[in-house]
Parts: sequence; structure tokens; C-alpha cells
Amino acid sequence: MIVTRHSAVPVSRSRRRALQWFAAGCGCAVCGSLHATLLDFDLSAVEIASKTWAVLGRSEYFDMDNGGNIVNVAFVEVPDGVVVIDSGPSKRFGDALRLLIEKTVPNKPILRVYNTHHHPDHFLGNQSFDASLIAAPQKVIDNISMEGNDFADNMYRLLGDWMRGTLPVAPTLALDADSEDVGGRTFSLFYLSGHTSSDLVIRDDETGVVFSGDLAFLFRAPTTPHADIAVWRTTLQTLDGIDKSLLLPGHGPSDPNGEAIAQTADYIDWLHGQLSEAVSAGLTMNEAMQLAIPARFEGLGVVRTEYERSVVHLYPALEDSLFPLIQIER
Amino acid sequence: MSSGNMSMTPRIVWATLGIRVCTLSVTALKRATALAVLMLSISVSGTSLARELPADPLDSVMWESMANRFMPEGDIVFDDRVKVMAPLFAENQFHVPITIDATELDDVEEIVVVADLNPIPLVLNMRPKAALSYIGLRLKLQQTSPIHVGVRTADGTWRVGYAVVDAAGGGCTAPAAAHGNSNWMKTLGETRALASRADAGTARMTLRMRHPMDTGLAAGIPAFYMNELEVKNNAGEVVAQLDLFEPVSENPTFTLRPKIGEEAETLHVSTRDTEGNVFDFPLSVPAFADL
Repeated sequence: MIVTRHSAVPVSRSRRRALQWFAAGCGCAVCGSLHATLLDFDLSAVEIASKTWAVLGRSEYFDMDNGGNIVNVAFVEVPDGVVVIDSGPSKRFGDALRLLIEKTVPNKPILRVYNTHHHPDHFLGNQSFDASLIAAPQKVIDNISMEGNDFADNMYRLLGDWMRGTLPVAPTLALDADSEDVGGRTFSLFYLSGHTSSDLVIRDDETGVVFSGDLAFLFRAPTTPHADIAVWRTTLQTLDGIDKSLLLPGHGPSDPNGEAIAQTADYIDWLHGQLSEAVSAGLTMNEAMQLAIPARFEGLGVVRTEYERSVVHLYPALEDSLFPLIQIER
Repeated sequence: MSSGNMSMTPRIVWATLGIRVCTLSVTALKRATALAVLMLSISVSGTSLARELPADPLDSVMWESMANRFMPEGDIVFDDRVKVMAPLFAENQFHVPITIDATELDDVEEIVVVADLNPIPLVLNMRPKAALSYIGLRLKLQQTSPIHVGVRTADGTWRVGYAVVDAAGGGCTAPAAAHGNSNWMKTLGETRALASRADAGTARMTLRMRHPMDTGLAAGIPAFYMNELEVKNNAGEVVAQLDLFEPVSENPTFTLRPKIGEEAETLHVSTRDTEGNVFDFPLSVPAFADL
């Protein structure tokens, strides 16, 4: 009894909505090139500091409308070229980003592409750039090598033709220095973790702009598939202590006031507390998913979706720490 | 089937398949056709007399097969009182949380969970003898699938609830995470559990046991899974019995709500896997007065 995904059952009206991306995905595959011409990222660059541009993604989850454009990437004009921070969710995005950089900073070579961590929206655009210029901590490179293919598979499933031609490309340069000079500009590098097992934070020492990757979110619910909440909490204090003029979070608007760090800390503290209580009360994951989210987090994009995902991510470790070990009779 | 004693039935089969039709006389063919029509009408009316299968709100291509295989006999109706809580999409196709609440129904004898599009659809069968008609579990999904939950009440009627879970592929055919560790046998059956009193008449117990729950569908790894779980109370009465099947998640996790008295109670859990390993343990619930 093998039924292919293309024969996925039609479902009731209320459930149909949940599978809409899927129907749309099939449609694109069938229509092929006709539809492909319509799948175009309308990327624009916002100058958030001198010669520093952010390409701000929507505060959403991956879907067929946004095509995966839910992430912040950035680029900085340095004396001899351009430095790029994260490459986006797909080859299509990476190509669009290259065009945008060429338009914004004409005739300057790209000298460096940093990957802040191994989540698919941050590195699957690597293919559009010269692999010898892509740099990340060794652990990020390992994580991409290990999980990149599975991420890409799932992104194709979620985004269909938006992903056409995308292959995972791991960075080739392993970073370990505290700072590096790129094209006449010094960038400080901070090797942190918590959102994942390796999170790179980059500071442009000239402008004081800090690119936090997904260690900080603003007005968009933090994601937790590889999070260690206790470590992340400590890391946010470290991040807070880094001298900066401005912080660009991985998702959400650029932040001159430290709001992103405070909001992320508040959210993950609450999340940890709420799920610890739920596990201790013996609630099932489904019951925990139905618990209320405090009003102060209502303004965070896709908070209900991310909260429900976090239940699945964080429950097993909480069960390990909160459920007593039982003596077994064999 | 011997050619010397050729009944009509094989001829019908041949006729249907277009094989050796030329060897049948026209009369024989007519007789065969008449008999086929007769047999068809008998079987159709026989089925419809037994029960009418309601249309599936999910329109699952597997609904008829699922109903006939796993909810045999008795009337069958879709019923809102069988609540199936499931996420819209599986964040992890190896551990998809499902909570079933049929506590609004009286006299529940059996709860059956099937994931229609899994290569092995039957997930579990629970008989809540002295427990609420409720269970929390986690299952593996091979792909996006309808989930049907049949609840058989004492009148013999199957009352069905459902959900659809969107999922990435491969939940049933990838090796269990345990096989990443060569020492996994050492922690087989390791159990973490929590039991508490919900109110004067019910407890809530959650247990998680280390077990790979191999489906037999991952290359080179034979089926090996926990297939029985029974809970008894201190008086030795059965609280709940569960038959477990391959799609139950690795490190199976269950939440049950046993009915208990106001005094302190000890719930005795007994499990067994397909290799005959037995894991037993008690869980204490405090007296109502001690709350």
C-alpha cells in the first residue's frame, strides 16, 4: 500500500487551508515555466547605517506566497568590495540578492559571505556566490554538511518551485579568529550558541552595527528547533554586553535600542517556564499547544505557530529533566 | 482448483480476466455471467445489511479499507464527541503528538487509531476498562496522512473522529535514533514517568520508555517493538489494556487517565515487546485527602 504524495487526500474545508501550500506546490510543478516567471522576489535594500544595507524578510513562516523570504540578510560596502551576511533560503533568492547588491553597490566585488548558522533560510542561497568566499565557524560548516540535505528536501516540500535548482553548499572557510580584516574593514567575530549549537555574531567595527543572526528576533516569534534555552539565555547577556550602535536581528526590523535582545529573552524565559509547568502537570504536547500565550507577545509575528513548534522541540528534554527515573522490574 | 471438478467460480474469474473465454461455450458464459451478477448482488446486499459506510469527511482514498480492516462489524458513524487533537503539521515526523478524548461517550470498549497513508496503518488499540476514554500518544508518519480514530461503544457502534497531519516523508522507514548508539540495548526499557491525582476520582499518568520501536521497514533492521501495555490497580483489576503496533513513536510516550478511588492508589504498569522482554513498574498516586 504505497500511495504517492501527489494523491494526498482531498480534505475538509477547515483542514484544506492547512494544506494549501501543497496544492499550490503541485500546481507550479504542472504549470512549469509559465508559473516560474511569476515567482520573483521583489527584494529591496534598506540602508540601516552608513553603507550598510538590510534586506528585511517578512515576519512569517515559509509559505508559497512569501517564497521563503522571511529572513534578514545584509550587505556592507567596505573600501575594496562588499561583505554579505547570510545568503537567504534558495538559489532564486541568492541570485536576486546578487542582482540587488550589484544595483546598490555597482562594480564592487563580493569579498566575503558569512553564514551566521545552519538554518536553511540563512544559507541555502550560498550557491549563488563563490564558494571560496563563504565563511562560518567550523561547527556551522559541520551542521550544514550534516543537515543541509534534509533542510533542502523539506524546503522544496514547503516552497515548491521557489526552490528550483537549489542545492546545499557548505562554507569552505572555517573561522576561528576574534576578528578579520575584509577589504579594508575590520569585523569582530563572536562564537556563540543557544539558538543552535553554533551561532556566529558579526560586528562591523567601523559602524558598530551588530549582525546577531537568530540569537535575536524582533516582533517575530523566536524559533527553537535546535535551541538550548539555558545556553541561549546566557548568550543573550553576552550579546547585550557587546558594544554596538545598532543590532540587525535575524528576523524583524533593525534595532537601535536593545529591544530585540530584551524581547527575545522575555519570550524564551516565558516559553521555558510555561512548558516546564505543562510537563510537570503531565499535559500532553497537544494540550500544551492549546495553552494561552500572554498578551505581550501578541505582536510577535506567527507566535502561535512558533509556540506550537516549540512544544515539539522542547518537550522531550523537559521530560528528561522533570520526570523521575523509575526502577524497572525485569 | 482442479480442472476435473471445475466450479463456476473459476470460469467467472477467467471470463472477467479475458483468459480462456474462447474455451467456454456461449451457454456456459451466460450461466457464468448470471451467477456472477447473482453473487455480486448477494455480496452487495450482504454488506449493506450489515452496515452502511458513511462518507469520510476527509475523503481519504483509504477510508473504506481502514474501516473494513480495523473497525469491522457494527454500525459506523462519524461523531464529534471523538475529539482528535493533532498539530496541523508534523514538526517531527518521528514523533507526532496525538491526544484522543472520547470522555463524552459512555461505555467505551475499544479505541483504535489508524494513520491511513502509513505503510503500516494500525497504530494502537486501547481497551479502557477502568480509565477515561482518553489517551495521549506520539506516532510516526510516513507522509501527510489522515488519521482516523474509531471508538467502539457497548452497543457495538464505531464512533469515528479524525484529523489530518501534514508531514515530511520517511517517518516509518528511517532507522530509529537509538541505532546511532551501539550501546542502545543497555538502556532498553529505561522509564521516566509521572503520576498524579487529577481529582477525587481520576489520576493522570504519563510514561516514556526507551525502545527503538523498529518498524521492520528500515533497511537491515528487523521489526522490534513494544506490543503490549497493561495497567492494573492495587486490587489487581485491569485499568487499561493497549495493543501497540509499529507506527508508535520511538521511546513510546503515553498519557492515560485511570479512574481511582479517594484513597491512595498504586498503578501497576506492565509492558512487553515483540522479543518477549517484560518491563514492569509501579506508580503511586496520593490519597485525595493528602492533596
